[in-house]
Amino acid sequence: MAFLELHGINKSFGSNAVVKSLSLDVAKGEFVSLLGGSGCGKTTTLRMIAGFETPDEGRILMDGADVSGLAPNRRKLGMVFQNYALFPNMNVRRNIAFGLRIARADKARTERRVDEMLELIHMEEFAQRFPHQLSGGQQQRVALARAVAIEPAALLLDEPLSALDAKIRLKLRDDIRAIQRRLKITTIYVTHDQEEALSISDRVAVMLAGRIEQIGSPFEIYNRPATPYVASFIGTLNLLPARVLEAASGLVEVDGQRIRVAGSLDAAAGSELSLRIRPEAIAIEGSSAANEAGDGRETLRGKLENLKFLGSIVRQVVALGSREVYADVFNDPSLVFPSIGDEVRMRFARESCLVSPNAALAVAVETED
Amino acid sequence: MKQRKGLSWLWFALGMVYFFLPLAATFLFSLRGKRDVLSFVAYKNVFVDPIFLRTFSFSLEMAILTVVAGLALIVPTAIWIHLKVPKAKPVIEIFTLLPFVIPPIILAFGLIRTYSRPPLALVSSPALLVAGYVIVAFPYIYRSVDAGLRAMDLRGLSEAAQSLGAGWIHLLFLVVLPNLRAALLSATFLTLAIVIGELTLANLLAWPAFGPYMALMGRNRAYEPAALAVMSFGLTWGAIGLIQALTRSGRDKSAGLGTGAR
Repeated sequence: MAFLELHGINKSFGSNAVVKSLSLDVAKGEFVSLLGGSGCGKTTTLRMIAGFETPDEGRILMDGADVSGLAPNRRKLGMVFQNYALFPNMNVRRNIAFGLRIARADKARTERRVDEMLELIHMEEFAQRFPHQLSGGQQQRVALARAVAIEPAALLLDEPLSALDAKIRLKLRDDIRAIQRRLKITTIYVTHDQEEALSISDRVAVMLAGRIEQIGSPFEIYNRPATPYVASFIGTLNLLPARVLEAASGLVEVDGQRIRVAGSLDAAAGSELSLRIRPEAIAIEGSSAANEAGDGRETLRGKLENLKFLGSIVRQVVALGSREVYADVFNDPSLVFPSIGDEVRMRFARESCLVSPNAALAVAVETED
Repeated sequence: MKQRKGLSWLWFALGMVYFFLPLAATFLFSLRGKRDVLSFVAYKNVFVDPIFLRTFSFSLEMAILTVVAGLALIVPTAIWIHLKVPKAKPVIEIFTLLPFVIPPIILAFGLIRTYSRPPLALVSSPALLVAGYVIVAFPYIYRSVDAGLRAMDLRGLSEAAQSLGAGWIHLLFLVVLPNLRAALLSATFLTLAIVIGELTLANLLAWPAFGPYMALMGRNRAYEPAALAVMSFGLTWGAIGLIQALTRSGRDKSAGLGTGAR
């Protein structure tokens, strides 16, 4: 049974419907991320769970009890904010003890719990510092400890890493996950950063225009996107316009070249569609390489236009007609790349090539912009 | 660069002369109570006058009541506006200008006309004077509090406190008010300074306050009004100094200087 349940939640601000018929189940101890672009309703959803916004329709259940109308201070949820929201008049120790003080925990227990929290965030020596004497990363760790100190029923994090430097963000991301695993605390994490969501979550809910487009494990979301939007939002994606030649055998034409996709197509011959291929699914070979026909892999020919060094990967940019196709390969010093301007072959498995109707492609591209 | 710095000092010196020359002249004049010698006789005359002490203590009492009533009324209102109806801020700001636009004499006559007959015959009650003072002090209190609230992330702090279980009382006394300390002090001392010297309301509502006493002295004596003016400046500066000192001590405390206690 789910620990946190959202049933048919609707929320509008004036005439602007921000959350539409949203339902979500989160199991106890699970880490779920709400991922999406600006204005997709992810923060409003989190704020409704926290009690700072009231749903226009629908119910929020926690451990089976309806908390939809409950005031935020009665929900027993820990929340971490993007801008830390530490109390400036209190030092680190008093900030962490705040919730326990409100709950009238006895002094010895409060002191013990605060010490545990300081140890958990590795900030014992900063206990007497005030928020303005800490870096952003340290402040956010204190905010996390403060939220966790009250042993909340669930932890809510609203873009907690957005205001931090890239390096600190990575470190804190790992720390958050480690603390969550250690305390086995149910967590809802809001972010617009797909890498963050994929790396930290048990499940990711990708949101668009107030609805959940797809919810699943990071592996599912990345490798089996259910909608063109999810496919285009998560990771980098090559979108190639194609024309159906033979629907039953999956034969299509891309820039005048014939390839097959896996399975048959649910489209009439001559109709337009689009193919979606991840850059890492494409291997680049020189045009002189032997053609291994019958290996279930397809080939598209193009001209190598550029090589982009992105640290751990090298992105090869291939011109296919008027389009650019990306092909990523791990940065291995022993690799020999074709020269810029060379004719190359792009090889990929049929299964890695996802098909969507052209109308859907237009939606995906529009939304991505 | 050097010339620029010299010019800055020149302007500073001119400013100082502009502000301090009349004050120095008033101070010197106040010391001429005795022929041909400088003395504090005018100050002594003021202090031995029982009416001075009576009127000053009355005004101080009214000022304290005004501060308490004003803060009790305006602070929660300002917080509520910031949190719940931020769109109303411009409207409230217009209201804060009204006490500057409407002369105190109009306010006094309005109060007298409205509250001089049953069922609201309050004209002889000091509560009406305090209410009038709250209106006069409203712009200073509201703007101080508003500035303090704008300087803090009120929404973020209140949501953080609520998520940790705090109700409105805890939020107000543990989070908001401690962080509004400088603004509250500023509002308090400004109100004290305004109310202690206020003339029109006290005069028209017929209360033995310090403002009317100063006006009376100005009509009947030569050196004592100058002494009162200097003392009044001293009081105001003392209040400003106190704000600075208390705010700095608050800042130092916030900075963790000298605090090792848990």
